[in-house]
Amino acid sequence: MRRSPLPPVPVARQEIDIDVDVLFGAIPSRRLDASLDAAAGQLARHGIRHGLVCSLRGGLFDACTGNDEMRKASERTGFGPVGAVDVRDALTAETEIERLTAAGVRLLRLFPAEQWVEPDSPGLAHIVDVAVAHGMVLLTSGDLSRFWPSFAGRGARVCFLDVHAYKVADFVVLARREPGFVASTRMLCGPDSIERIAGEVGAHHLAYGSRAPLHDVLPSALRLRTAALDDREWRQVAGGTAAAWLGERT
Amino acid sequence: MIIDVHAHAGPWFFSTDVGSVELNLALMDRYGIDRQIVSASEAVTYDMVSGNRWMAEALDRHPRLLGYVVVNPNDLATAARELERYQPTGRFVGIKVHTTYPAQPLMSAAVRDTFGLAAEVGLPVLIHTWDETVVGLVDVLERHPDLRVIAGHMGGPAWRAAVDAAGRTDRLYLEPCCSITDRGKYRYALDRVPLEQMLFGTDSTLVDPAIAMGVVLEDDLTDDEYDHVMWRNAARLFGIDVETDTAA
Repeated sequence: MRRSPLPPVPVARQEIDIDVDVLFGAIPSRRLDASLDAAAGQLARHGIRHGLVCSLRGGLFDACTGNDEMRKASERTGFGPVGAVDVRDALTAETEIERLTAAGVRLLRLFPAEQWVEPDSPGLAHIVDVAVAHGMVLLTSGDLSRFWPSFAGRGARVCFLDVHAYKVADFVVLARREPGFVASTRMLCGPDSIERIAGEVGAHHLAYGSRAPLHDVLPSALRLRTAALDDREWRQVAGGTAAAWLGERT
Repeated sequence: MIIDVHAHAGPWFFSTDVGSVELNLALMDRYGIDRQIVSASEAVTYDMVSGNRWMAEALDRHPRLLGYVVVNPNDLATAARELERYQPTGRFVGIKVHTTYPAQPLMSAAVRDTFGLAAEVGLPVLIHTWDETVVGLVDVLERHPDLRVIAGHMGGPAWRAAVDAAGRTDRLYLEPCCSITDRGKYRYALDRVPLEQMLFGTDSTLVDPAIAMGVVLEDDLTDDEYDHVMWRNAARLFGIDVETDTAA
């Protein structure tokens, strides 16, 4: 039997508490089981206890019915509910944000990259304002270096889900003046990307995300488990930041 | 045994401190990587001559590392001299070609001429691939019957095109390192490309080896697949004497 090349993981790092980047539904560009059960199976296999889950239907086709299936899925699994709106239709988004918050949904995911929305879209800026006014935490795709202006200067709490290792400096200079800006760790793939952000602006500006079931989970989970963070920082990234969004004590 | 066929040494211009060769070795130790084939970041992004020289000096000090001679397609006369200088040392076992920094697309005339030079010297070529033009490598290999090419990053987001290309010639190899970790892409390749053409690479130290390690091991390799992917194919392609290396 071959020996695993993976480094040993300390007991305290075997369980990641919250994954902020979980989707379910259909993926037209892939032949892939992207059901919620598939995503939950991936998380369980890799020692991830809890996910914040959003419907692909809501992001790629129809926000209203997508959010309905997301709420049912959340109730069934106990995963944290994340709503979606279509940035191409800011008028319908106003109504959907009202409906989501009335139902107790506190997280809103935006898909500007997938919806071919330009960073300076008036609709995007308006949706951010409406969501912030409703006390929602935002999760968003898109290149941080292009999309940040729509979120800055508004008191927004927002997790940028696509921050690449190449954009660490851009994120740090933004986070210095935006206390609510958070980077998902998924693409912070350099040997010191996570560590550099934690050291510069604090681990509360980081949250673990995998993008299951569209992406492999092991790469991002292994990178986090081997990160040179102290125990307090590690727990913050592995769940503390997301728990604070949900109003939970850690 | 693990051989990493796609790695770098030296600093980068991003906000990252990964320039020390000692970091290459520390990350190799962490992930059980025995040998690593590296190119100098300076040679890839800026000046092939000064970068290759720096790499040669580093290789002299670190026997676990082997080198790629970086070739800039814009200056093949100088590139030929670089190959004459470094190939006889035995410490450089392949040629590295990037397309972004020289601003020469994969199927440009300059890059095609670079493949001709590589065919003459007989070294495998690791080339950066990042879009559907990766399928053009099939024609390149038909034109050069002894050439062997590694599609670095397995085509990046165009990994399905890379798999299609590798299925059409037995001298195109796939190497998976990429920050885009689409689920199941390595298994997709394993199920369609002859096992002898599949390799392991990390892009370390620009990228932590956890990423490529995770992509490959997520897909539940059989023992036979693991041996071929992680070292056997690379040892054969680059002529690495594994028993001697293990003893070293």
